[in-house]
Order: sequence, then C-alpha cells, then structure tokens
Amino acid sequence: MMDIKLMVNNKPYTLNIEPSERLLDVLRTRLGLMGTKEGCGEGECGACTVIVDGKTVNSCLVLAAQANGSEITTIEGVGNRRKPHPVQKAFVEVGAVQCGFCTPGMVLSAKNLLDKKSKPSDDEISVAMSGNLCRCTGYDKILRAVKLASQEGN
Amino acid sequence: MNTNVVGSRVIREDAWGKVFGQSKFPADVNLPDQLYGVVVRSPYPHARVRNIVTEKALELAGVVTVLTAKDVPHNSHGVLFRDQPVLADYVRMVGDPVAVVGAETMEIARAAAKLVEIDYEVLPAVFDAEQAMLPEALPLHPELKPTNVLYHMPIRRGTMEDGWALADVVIENEYNTQHVDHAFLQPEAVLAYVDERGHMVVQTATQYAHYDRGEIAHALGLRFSQVQVKTLAVGGAFGGREDISLQIIAALLALTTLRPVKMENTREESFYSHSKRHPMRMYYKTGATKDGKLVAMEAKIVGDAGAYASWSINVLRKSAVHATGPYVIPNVSIDSFAVFTNNPYAGAMRGFGAAQTVLAYESQMDLLAKALGISALEIRLLNHFKVGSTTATGQVLTGSIPLDQCLAKIAPYLQKGDGIL
Amino acid sequence: MKYFQPQSVREAVEIAQTSEAAFLAGGTDLVLFMQTGKIKPIALIDLGKIPQLKMIRETEGYLEIGSMATFAEMGNNELIYKQAHALWLACHTMGSPQIRNQATIGGNLGNCSPAADGLPPLLALGAEVHLVSGNGDEVIALESLLSRTPLLAQDTLIQGFRIPLKGFQSGFAKLGRRRALAIARLSVAVAIEVDGNLVTQVRVALGAVGRRAFLSEALNQDLSGQEINEAWIEKGVEQVQRIVREALGTRASAPYKRVAVSGVFREALDSFITEGGSNA
Ligand SMILES: Cc1cc2nc3c(=O)[nH]c(=O)nc-3n(C[C@H](O)[C@H](O)[C@H](O)COP(=O)(O)OP(=O)(O)OC[C@H]3O[C@@H](n4cnc5c(N)ncnc54)[C@H](O)[C@@H]3O)c2cc1C
Ligand code: FES
Ligand code: FES
Repeated sequence: MMDIKLMVNNKPYTLNIEPSERLLDVLRTRLGLMGTKEGCGEGECGACTVIVDGKTVNSCLVLAAQANGSEITTIEGVGNRRKPHPVQKAFVEVGAVQCGFCTPGMVLSAKNLLDKKSKPSDDEISVAMSGNLCRCTGYDKILRAVKLASQEGN
Repeated sequence: MNTNVVGSRVIREDAWGKVFGQSKFPADVNLPDQLYGVVVRSPYPHARVRNIVTEKALELAGVVTVLTAKDVPHNSHGVLFRDQPVLADYVRMVGDPVAVVGAETMEIARAAAKLVEIDYEVLPAVFDAEQAMLPEALPLHPELKPTNVLYHMPIRRGTMEDGWALADVVIENEYNTQHVDHAFLQPEAVLAYVDERGHMVVQTATQYAHYDRGEIAHALGLRFSQVQVKTLAVGGAFGGREDISLQIIAALLALTTLRPVKMENTREESFYSHSKRHPMRMYYKTGATKDGKLVAMEAKIVGDAGAYASWSINVLRKSAVHATGPYVIPNVSIDSFAVFTNNPYAGAMRGFGAAQTVLAYESQMDLLAKALGISALEIRLLNHFKVGSTTATGQVLTGSIPLDQCLAKIAPYLQKGDGIL
Repeated sequence: MKYFQPQSVREAVEIAQTSEAAFLAGGTDLVLFMQTGKIKPIALIDLGKIPQLKMIRETEGYLEIGSMATFAEMGNNELIYKQAHALWLACHTMGSPQIRNQATIGGNLGNCSPAADGLPPLLALGAEVHLVSGNGDEVIALESLLSRTPLLAQDTLIQGFRIPLKGFQSGFAKLGRRRALAIARLSVAVAIEVDGNLVTQVRVALGAVGRRAFLSEALNQDLSGQEINEAWIEKGVEQVQRIVREALGTRASAPYKRVAVSGVFREALDSFITEGGSNA
C-alpha cells in the first residue's frame, strides 16, 4: 500500500492505495465518482476519459499512483444544473446525447479542447474527439454540439 | 389530439443527468456488504459437463459460494422457447455460463473463477448452418426440434415456370453476411438483492423488463409478484439487451446467499454473453424482361441461429417477408430457414433480419441493370412498390410509400458520381 | 507490489538493479498487461518524476529526445516538425489524443510491438539510443539494438534518442483500419538526403511486416545516388514490394500487404514537408 495525494475537482484527497489500482477504480470506488465510465478497459472507447493536469487521459490505463500529486477533473467537476458548461448545454440542445454512456468522456474531451483553443476548426474538433467512441449518435450531432459550444463560449 | 411535438425539436429531459454524469447505469449502483459474482464460461462450443470440482475455488479466502446447474431451481430461459440454460450442464456454444462464483471482492471472484475445475466431454460441433441442416447432423435441441432446422418459412406467389419463361435476363448469385456484435458501449451489469419485503429486486439495463421479471421468477421458482426489475439507464442496446444475460445468475446468487450481489461484465465477457446478428447465406435467382421489369425471383435464405433460438423465428420471418426488397415481383418462391449451430447464438439486432437481405436483393438489382444496359436508378424506378402494389406475401399496400419521391431526391447525387450510375 | 518514484536516472537504475522491478513510463502497454495478467511485476519504477527524461532539444549536431517525451509532446514540437518530420507525422497518427497524452517514445521502444509507430521514423532518421544500466552508459544505433534478444536487460533504462542532424527530409505513412485508434497494418518511413536533383542517400524503414520494425539496407543501396523522378519512385515501389514479399513469406497477410505497401510507400513520399526542399 502507498499514500497518494490527488486534487480531484478542486478537492484535496489523501488516499492509501495499492500501487496496482487504476485511476478509474480509485475515482469510482474510493471516491464514489461514478460519472467516469468503463466501456472497454483497454483505451479504445474513451468513456473513462478524465483530465489530468490539463490533459485528457484514459483513466483505465493510468495507475492512480502515476497521478500522485496531480490535479484531476472528472465530469462531476464540470458544470451543474444551475450553471452548465457550454459544452454540456450544447450537447443537450443539439441532441448529442442518446444513451449517455459515452457522454461524460465526450464532454471532457470537448471541454479540454475549448480550454486550450476557444475557436477550434472543424478538423481540430474531429481530432480532439477521435478518442471517444459513441455507438448511438453517429457522431454528427456530437461534432455539431462541440462547434456550437465553441461559438457560445464567446 | 395535440401533435405540436411531432416534427419539432424537443430536448430530451434525461440528457441533463447524462451530461453531468449523474445518470445511474447498473455498474454505478452498489449496496453495502454486496458480493461480487463472476461467471465461468465454457471454452468449448459443444460439450457435456461431466463433473465440476469447486473445492479449490472455495478454499480461496473471501469466496462465499460457487453455484452450478444443480443449484438452479428451473434451469432454463429464453424469449421464444426456454431452450437456454441459466448455468449449463450441457454446453452448446463457447461462452455458455457453467458456474458462478460469489466472493467478497471482484478480484477474488475473478481469481476464484479460474480455480473452478470443470471436466468436459467435448462433442463434435457444427459451425456451418447448411451442414447443420443435413439429416446426419446431431440435433442440438432434440427436445424442441428433431433436426437443427428451427424454422422454415416458405412464401409462394404466382407460378415460377411462367415467370422464368418471361425473363430475358436471369441473375443468379450467392451472398453471405457475417456475425455482428451490437457493441453497445456499456457492458452488462446487475445489482440484485432481496429487499425488506422478501422480494427479489434486480437493477439492470434491459430492453425488456417485464420479460426479465418472468424469466427470473420462473428460473428461481418465485411468483411474478415477488420479483421486481428496475431498469436503470441503458447504455445502448440495439437488440442486444432483449435476451437475459446476467440477470438470473445474479438473482440466483442473491437468493442463495441472501446478500446483495453485483455483477459486471468486462468487454470481453460482454462479447461472449449476448446475442449476435444472424449471419445469413442467401441464394438468389432473379429474372427481368428486356424492358427492365422484374418477373421472377427465387431465394433461399439460411440464417445461422447459433446455439439458442432467441428471436430467430421472428428474424428469419422478417428476412423472408423482406426478401424481394421494395420491388414488385409477380412470381416468387422464397424459403427462409433458421438453423441451430454451435456458433454464438443470434438474436435481435437493428433491422431484425431485414438488414441482411438488402445485400442480396440490391446487388441483384445492380447486376440486372448492368446486364440490361440500363442505370441502377432506372431499374428501381421501373419496379418499386407504389400505393396499390401487392407484395410477395399478398399484402396490398395502401399506406404512404414515397419511394418515388425518395429516389427523385437522391437521383441528382447518384448521377453526379463517377459514372457508376 | 512495490512502487518507486525516483527523481533521477541514476536512482532509477539503482532501484532496478536491486528490486527486479519494471520501468513504468506512460503505462498504456504496461497497465493493460498487468490488468490482463500477462505481466505480473513485483515492483514498478515510475519514470514520470524525472524531468531530464522529458527533454526535447537540439545539441551540437543532434536532436535529442528524452524517453519520457509523450507522442503529444513530440507532435507539438517545432524541432521535431522540422528536423524529424517522419516522427512528427507518426505522432499524429498514433492512438488517440488520450493515448498520445500518455504514451511515450521510450515505452514504444520498450514494448517494441511489430506495429510500434515510433520506430520506423527513428530508424529512417538514423537515430541512436542512449541506454543506462548498472554497467554504465551505452549509445547504440537503433537498428543494432533492434537485433538484440531480449531487447533490453531488466535493469537497462532507455534514457533517450538522438537523431543526427544531417538535413534529411523525411516522411511517414501508415495503413490502419480507420483513422483514429488504429494499430498499423503496415507503416513506412522514408528519409532522404538530396543534392540538387540527386538523391544521395535513402533510408526506408518498415513497420508491421515482421517481428520488429526494420531498416532495409538493400533498399538504401538500390535507391541511393540517383535522380529523383517518376522512374525512381516506380523503382522504389517495386523494391519495397519485394522487401515485403521476402519479409512476410507465406503469412496470411502477405498477399494484401504486398499490394498495399506500394500505396503506403507513395503516401510516405508525399508526406515530406514541401517548403524549401524538393518534394519527391
Ligand atoms: C488504445 C491503444 C492504442 C494504441 N495505439 C498505438 C498506435 O497507434 N501506435 C503505436 O505505436 N502504439 C500504440 N499503442 C501502444 C502504446 O501506446 C505504445 O507502445 C506506447 O508508446 C507505450 O508507451 P508507454 O509510455 O505507455 O509505455 P509503458 O506501457 O509504460 O511501457 C511499455 C514497456 O516499455 C518499458 N519501458 C518504458 N519506458 C522505458 C524506459 N525508459 N526504459 C526501459 N524500458 C522502458 C516498460 O517496462 C514496458 O515493458 C496503443 C495502445 C493502446 C492502449
Ligand atoms: S474504458 Fe478506458 S478507454 Fe474504454
Ligand atoms: S450516446 Fe450511447 S454511446 Fe454515445
């Protein structure tokens, strides 16, 4: 066992974990942050996407120990019903959400893109979203939602 | 009736919970003191289970129980026929569940699953639906059908000899489609527990909560009123959550141990445990006059149902009904079959048997057009269904059939292409 | 399992010598292998806290890339764009944004899958590898290292790579089943040195056509010292097809890859930076 410190959604945590624990499991089972989803467990689907120190990663491929000392944003740290993030608003308005299992990861990839570049090109949007699979929507509305959010974010 | 909503943009209310990550999928719910269940699946496509030794698994600290076929009160389930075991003592496909381990943590349950020793008598397996139809093939469900032909749907219309006599061009071909997995993004998960009323509560993602309830009640020997199925957020389904996957097994563990039970498939387990789209082999012979009018079609469609019936009858019925495509053909002979094999079982998936035949009948149309020297669009315009047309099954179409409008809309795009049309 | 987070290369190698531990870079291969039980390390040495290993810089005559540089960092780097264009291109087709943020070039070599996207560009560009172990430092050409089995001893750390700055132009192309998250079915990296209209040196490396990525010596000889024109490209296509045929033999993928490689090779040539140089 080892101690790690994480700053998750601006809240500090000190945790005693097994070095082999994945960040995904620590977030879900130790911190109860169930918004981060496991779709494949092998880096293919992006449902487990979180932002670590300003970068999106697949939390199913990261050990919690590797994130020691990092700042982490999960979907629970992005917007709420009173003040949704522009990406969240756009996803709802455009109809980019169907079953919703891919949605937290999608929102985080889109948010991270817009944090870095408020007016991305269509190509940049496609690339930024290319690590997130959706089996329901067919992507068109997802890309449109990100575009809309980038226009509204202004 | 107020129809304001039809045709307008409405916001789906559940989307808010989803963009905030608040919606609860079955993997996201837990109860204190829950056990974790992991299934041991057959690596063989056809086998009899001779013996199961659970001692080693039970010796692992944290393992509470290992259940097998003998622990299931009524060991069967299925949407059309109860031909599928909850826990198999006779295996008909790779991935059939043979035992389930209940343990204090998921890690222990997974480790213990590897320690369950199963002695299989491996039997010859058949993977080709047409071979499975041969009289000498071993029937996989003798209690249900004497042969592996689960279903045969013949459709006859007009007179074939007359049709072929009129045909100036005849195209004959074989078409094959493959297994397809739904790959819904959320792997199956269940939380099952006995509540304060003594009722079995099963929280899961399902397309078919009421049927699940009936099957759980049947398998466990409970009354319908003693079983409650709660559908949580469903992370995609596309037909793949119509059959039962982990629901009964989790409920069985919960009933046996009187503890809440959590089960979660990995992606790999998910591939093993739910239905697939039917692979179909389709023999098509289609004839047209030199003016491009269809006059005769003969089709034989063999659908690979895999190990269990699931919705195969309905699926292959739909294949038969849609076998001509949206085209008027006066002389038709269609035979559609659903056949048991030792492949993964096939069931509902988007289109429900109507998707596969498209490959065959539309390819036939393209090839006929080519042989006749007319465009692919022309041959379709000459033959498509209109109001008043009669289908191969004798249905006279009266409703809206705006295929002509649809073809007119796409025509300019088709002709702009690189001369293909 | 034990977990170490050393602050320096020396410390990391010392731990490796005494602990039988495995080095952990981004973890995109290792964490998965641990998850599936394919690898069960007794201990891990997380290299993520050694700043020196992340460096990408130009020194006299070399472009140096630390082993812990991620594909995203390399793909955003101006030096790599200009001086190691093939590698830059590989960085953009590798994995997905999430994977690129995590995966490192050192891990790419450490795992050394046949389809590792980082290796053909490094081979074509003539990269050398800087290794550190209990026996001290070693700098070795990547192509020589790739002929060793096992690739690395347990206590050998990949410190980084250095690419000689000889003014090579380079390109890379990969054939995957789709555009993102596609493991290479085939990849080609080409680096050429041009003098006027003459190609004075050609280095072609292939990925996913054998156990490990490799540099084709024969190709280099056949294609060097000639004028660049259509005929040269055709000759290149022919040669590269022959190499693939020889490398794959009777493998099931051979008939497909033998044909596909001609397109991938042409694409690699097309991917050179055009400004200020000849575009082959
Ligand atoms: C979804 C997905 C998609 C992928 N797509 C691609 C792709 O398109 N192209 C591609 O090439 N790869 C791909 N990969 C594979 C993987 O991401 C790469 O091989 C990556 O470069 C590994 O780097 P890492 O930092 O994650 O290595 P790790 O997983 O940390 O390590 C890999 C191995 O290298 C050893 N190692 C790491 N660093 C060192 C060092 N400095 N010294 C000595 N040994 C070391 C480790 O001990 C381990 O054995 C993909 C992986 C996933 C999960
Ligand atoms: S669960 Fe991590 S990428 Fe799919
Ligand atoms: S909405 Fe279902 S997977 Fe994206």
